[in-house]
Amino acid sequence: MNLVFAMTVGILFGLGVYQLLRRDLIKAAMGFALLFTAVNLLLLAVGAFDGTVPAYTDQTEQSSDPLVQALILTAIVVSFGSYALLLGLVNIVSTRFGTARTDDVNHLQN
Amino acid sequence: MAPTNSLILLTVFLPLFGGVLSLLLWGRHKAQRYVGFAVGVVAWMASVGVLWMNWQDGIQIYRLGGWQPPFGIILVADMLSSLFVVMSTTVLMMGLLYAIGCNDKVVKHPTFTTLFLAMQTGLVGALYTGDLFTLFVFMELMVLSSVSLVAISDNRLGLEAAIKYLFISSMGTLFLLLGIAATYSAFGTLNFADIGQILASSERPFLAREAAIMLTAAFLLKSAVFPFHFWQPDFHTTAPTPVHAVLSSVVVKVGVYGLIRMTTLLFTSEIELEIIRTILLVLGTISIFFGSLGAFRTYDGKRMLAYSTFGQIGFILLGIGWGTPLALAAAFVYAFNHAFIKSALLMLFGVVSSRTENKTANLSEVGGVGHSLPAFVGVLYLLGGLSLAGVPPMNGFISKLGLVQSGIDAEMWLTLGLAVGAGILTLMYMTRTWQLVFQQQPTDSTAAVKSYNDNPLAPALLISACVALGLFAAPLVDFATATAEQIINAPIYIEAVLGTESSAISRR
Repeated sequence: MNLVFAMTVGILFGLGVYQLLRRDLIKAAMGFALLFTAVNLLLLAVGAFDGTVPAYTDQTEQSSDPLVQALILTAIVVSFGSYALLLGLVNIVSTRFGTARTDDVNHLQN
Repeated sequence: MAPTNSLILLTVFLPLFGGVLSLLLWGRHKAQRYVGFAVGVVAWMASVGVLWMNWQDGIQIYRLGGWQPPFGIILVADMLSSLFVVMSTTVLMMGLLYAIGCNDKVVKHPTFTTLFLAMQTGLVGALYTGDLFTLFVFMELMVLSSVSLVAISDNRLGLEAAIKYLFISSMGTLFLLLGIAATYSAFGTLNFADIGQILASSERPFLAREAAIMLTAAFLLKSAVFPFHFWQPDFHTTAPTPVHAVLSSVVVKVGVYGLIRMTTLLFTSEIELEIIRTILLVLGTISIFFGSLGAFRTYDGKRMLAYSTFGQIGFILLGIGWGTPLALAAAFVYAFNHAFIKSALLMLFGVVSSRTENKTANLSEVGGVGHSLPAFVGVLYLLGGLSLAGVPPMNGFISKLGLVQSGIDAEMWLTLGLAVGAGILTLMYMTRTWQLVFQQQPTDSTAAVKSYNDNPLAPALLISACVALGLFAAPLVDFATATAEQIINAPIYIEAVLGTESSAISRR
């Protein structure tokens, strides 16, 4: 399970960084969605596989760590918020400039 | 176990409440701004109260929901947090006061006050919180609201700068989350005190160094230090004036605060400390160099001050990097004084640029604008500029003096030479802009402009605070010295948060 997670996180990171570096604001924003998913999976992998039973139900066996799941829930909410704001800003930019290509959105120079 | 203090909760969450209140006054922008300022004043008084209790009774804490640390969320006000929070709430209060007298279109936006107060909540919460994950949440609140504020700025370039910053800051958030994941897998906890205790008591866990590097990168990015600085001049220059004053003076200090916490509490074992301090010294030196030169050759007054912030943060990093009690105290004094000077200067430049034809701070257009202003504004600007450069009667001199003193103790001659050179450069660009704005004869176009006429009350108050802090520097210096002593001694913090019995708590 750990190997599968490690590979998934690695692939998602690669895809995310690749998308982020593309010359289009929407694709770059999607790169962020991928990167945040990768980090959330990494957080899950930190503590989820120690136990065999859910937390606080059956104390006879080792339970998995519930804290990372709470952290991921918060992280998902926060990253979703910033993703939504980012897409909203990209939307305004694309109506104002008529394009979302980063090469053309270049009024901020030196 | 330190006493519970609900004033901390008031300081953090009253601005959020005020933000909601101002949303209820949708469309009545004057009333909204008055509510915002009233909330700012109350939050400022609460933060000063917390600082006073700190001075009297030691570390104050508040356990959210009554959970015993390290399991619950906890707000901790030790002397470092209280000092930074008082600095922030003062500048934020003045920003809200400036917004009342400001005639930009953006301050009449129905969500301006709400976003500003949300930024205050994020800022103060990030400074008070006692665990890494809550720090992340509060920092995100701060970043998102400041991005929204810049995106609705009068300056049309604000939108572009906001997108640029949101991308870069999200990268920083990503590093922070990676650091949190690494910290959690290394220590099994995210509470500052708990991490410090584990590091002090046992051998270094796996991934500790990686966590340290990730967190350093995240905090350096938030405070715009050299390789991560390129968003800062754009983002700060395009912000509305009251927001710019807050961003350039206190919001960048959150990263500095995180670095101080890391080097004194979280990663106190030799290996990580050595890495972090070397990084801070090298990048701080480069930042001073680049910041001063950038400020010297730029074309826009506000941009000049943003570059100058970038250089001044470098000075604070030098203090943290040297890491002796004297150097840390000097860094605190420097951070505190710089917040006042920089916000005052930015507001003054906002007052000046509100009198120009296109409402810009472009140096080719502000020449002679000062003639339409009352004479005392020019005096204020000159005092602020002298203070920024570190000329004796002002508070900037006190902070430079402390830092140079600790540099001599640490025998860092190269960086000291750079620091003095940067001071001279600062003096040059500040007097140059002063002459340009307040001494030059106005051109015909600037004389006949229907201006926005921002009110110079808030910067006047801030500059008088600067003068007072320069003439009566002893209380601040004493407090900073006591803070540095408390900070160096990590067990004080750990015991105040966890109590002495906590070592008996078993963990996985």
